[in-house]
Amino acid sequence: MKLRRRTRADGAGQHHADPCVAELIRALGEDRVRADGAARHLASADASMFSDGAAGPVCFPDSTEHVQAIMQVAARHDRAVLPRGAGSGLSGGAAPLGDPIVVSTTRMNRVLEVDEQDRVAWVQPGVINLDLTKQVTPLGLHFAPDPSSQQVCTIGGNVANNSGGPHCLAYGVTSAHVLAVEVVLSTGEAVVLGGLEAEPSGYDLRGAFVGSEGMFGIATKIAVRLTPNPESVRTLLLSFDTVADAAATVGSVIASGLVPAAVEMMDKRCVAAVEDFVHAGYPRGAAAVLLIEVDGLQRGVEADTEKVAEIGRAHGGTVRVAADEQERALLWKGRKSAFGAVARVAPDYYLHDTVVPRSKLVEVLEAVYEIVDRYDLTAVNVFHAGDGNLHPLMAYDSREPGVNERVAAAGREILEVSLAVGGVLSGEHGIGVEKRDFMEYQFTSADLEQQALLRRSFDPHCRLNPGKVLPSAHSCADIASLSASKVNGVWG
Amino acid sequence: MTESPGLLGLDQAELDSCVACALCLPHCPTYRVTGADTHSPRGRIALMQVVDEGIAPLTDEIVEAFDSCIQCRACETACPGDVPFGHLLEATKEFVETTRGKAPWWLKLGLRGLTRPTLLRIGSSCLAVAQRLRLVPSRRLGLPQRLPVRRRALRATGDDVWLFTGCVMDAWQRDIHLATQEVIEATGTTVRPSGDATPCCGALHTHAGLGDEARRLATRVMSALNGDNAILVNSAGCGAALKDYGRLLDSDEARAFSARVFDIHEWLADRIDEIDAIPTEPAIAERVAVVDPCHLRHVQGSHMAVRKVLEPFVSEIVELDDEGMCCGAGGAYSLVQRQLALDVRDRKTEVINRSRADLVVSANPGCSMHLAATGLTVRHPIELIAEALRAR
Repeated sequence: MKLRRRTRADGAGQHHADPCVAELIRALGEDRVRADGAARHLASADASMFSDGAAGPVCFPDSTEHVQAIMQVAARHDRAVLPRGAGSGLSGGAAPLGDPIVVSTTRMNRVLEVDEQDRVAWVQPGVINLDLTKQVTPLGLHFAPDPSSQQVCTIGGNVANNSGGPHCLAYGVTSAHVLAVEVVLSTGEAVVLGGLEAEPSGYDLRGAFVGSEGMFGIATKIAVRLTPNPESVRTLLLSFDTVADAAATVGSVIASGLVPAAVEMMDKRCVAAVEDFVHAGYPRGAAAVLLIEVDGLQRGVEADTEKVAEIGRAHGGTVRVAADEQERALLWKGRKSAFGAVARVAPDYYLHDTVVPRSKLVEVLEAVYEIVDRYDLTAVNVFHAGDGNLHPLMAYDSREPGVNERVAAAGREILEVSLAVGGVLSGEHGIGVEKRDFMEYQFTSADLEQQALLRRSFDPHCRLNPGKVLPSAHSCADIASLSASKVNGVWG
Repeated sequence: MTESPGLLGLDQAELDSCVACALCLPHCPTYRVTGADTHSPRGRIALMQVVDEGIAPLTDEIVEAFDSCIQCRACETACPGDVPFGHLLEATKEFVETTRGKAPWWLKLGLRGLTRPTLLRIGSSCLAVAQRLRLVPSRRLGLPQRLPVRRRALRATGDDVWLFTGCVMDAWQRDIHLATQEVIEATGTTVRPSGDATPCCGALHTHAGLGDEARRLATRVMSALNGDNAILVNSAGCGAALKDYGRLLDSDEARAFSARVFDIHEWLADRIDEIDAIPTEPAIAERVAVVDPCHLRHVQGSHMAVRKVLEPFVSEIVELDDEGMCCGAGGAYSLVQRQLALDVRDRKTEVINRSRADLVVSANPGCSMHLAATGLTVRHPIELIAEALRAR
């Protein structure tokens, strides 16, 4: 029997009518460029509800040289360029505006070098966060930033959004773990920002790049700091009859001088959804639970565990300490799948991200429930309580007429409440499209103009991920016309 | 079941249950090797949605996105929202097959052959002879290196349980059935092999979108295996299919049938103590890596039973570090999507080599043949147990 040789999906059905696509194929090879509707449609959204544009051709480079070639083609054809990792972002940062060439980093997924002595790894941007940690586990090391999406999100995406995660309370967000970045600029030139030395000389352009949401350049190699695994870890699950008790416990723990590795809160509805998935024994009856982790040297950890438990009990909480690694892993699996588990509540969700002072947690949470109720939506709360990073989640069904407007209005009110008590727009998801038009709430016109100047110094032609972060008045892009590309769609 | 207004005729509630969170992506073998959203569960569901709603035409690339799925269902294990991806994809493939007839002619012919046991055995014996005459490029075709020319007969010893014997496994791996019967009988249970009365479970037909044929085969299997006694299956793919007849045929009779079906390891795990004179020292000295067939781990959820039944007989069981990632076999997938199947297999063999195991066991014929084609020694877990019992 002779098997018919089938063409692989990548590159199948390419039409070369678009000279830009033809050039991309010439530069990268047919199996690294896709211009068909299916590929473009899927590259037109991330994990958020923000999808205002349509992706152009999708490229799958596997080297710095490929990314440089894409930039050069884009420059010749005056096309926008949008980097994309796993597409798990929640602010529309990887959702295209206009019809940019999409640069998917998923095939740039190699860990290039691990220096055990200096605890540094050079990685390509498409390496999945948790894959890196798994790879260096035998060396007793890990990559500390651990977004809830760490099993899927890429390190390139973490750099773009300066991502946080439960353990960033003690260890700091991504910026504290990135030493240097090789970046391909919009000109096609590759430069290295930062360095491995403790105090790199000159301006800290690395610092400017981390969190630039794909608008300054495309990271093609990243030097990350690896963190030694703690000698001992204890995870406590505390349950409370009221959200206020849980929030007060968080305040008391931090005020006591303890710096837990993580302090996470989930409300009743979240616990129910999560428990249905992981069966970790989360208490369904509790109004709120805290997941608190302490780590360090064994003796200190034991003392800290007891101290946290005492504080919890003093606030009327019930305390359970994970008995072994398996129980601990299961509890964390629950926490880290919380947002996906909301599928059990409704088919769509809007996962918000704001930061408020810890002292205002109770006040803001009460306001969140009130606002979401008023708009007749379902509120689920799961968040990094330790640093006041709220993630109010509104579950809804997008087919219900008028619901999108209600979600947007409720989201805006939550933001206003957060800012009014001295909070900020975003803790870790980035600004993207989601918070772009709210930037003026937090920054003055002069502040924003300075940010726009920095953006233009990296990308004078406004080519990279246009229309994000900076609001219309300060953006180099014509946001209204970028959004119009959606009309043509990808199936024409 | 919510009625669907959509073109694909999918269950609307199932289709809407995906919130696109992306947590399935790293668990999908085809996404892992291509990095393409079109080759991910989230992407495939998004494409089902736009086709279903009439937003997108059913393009070649969309069909390819569906066809490139191995149907390992690891995404279901990973999904915090319990999206029934397998059902959605099967229904989608049935729609595509009905409207476009996408399955290649040779696949349809081959699948028809699976339902003709005598023909299948004669064909395999001819193939086995041809192999010995070096007339068949076995490796290139993904065939086992040495098919049996003759097979020892299976004989019923009573009616306590049915042993489901299936198609290819019966023709190519009869020895595993004999070993299975031996092990079942060691617990003091009599066995009736299903034999030619149940030529094929229809799993591969379901995967190829040939729903009518799959339902016809299911009905045939059910009428042959009547009674109330348990039906034991030693092929993970067939076991998963038999357990799914309740949904496939949507009848009380089929649901009652499915409730009688057990994977052999699942059944044995509850009766391991009934085996007399289990040696105190493990009889098998090698370090054994358990490769979990996807339809055992992600569909039946019976993979831990394999470890439990092996434990008394094996000195060390090695766990692979890839959370049950697919090997790329996927029934007929490795023939239809050759390159992807090989890429996925490369990842798997890397994981196996990294584990430094001496021996690999897999409880599914397709997986073991696909892996064995790389030169690995792959046994069925029950074979090891039978050998250990013989050595008592």
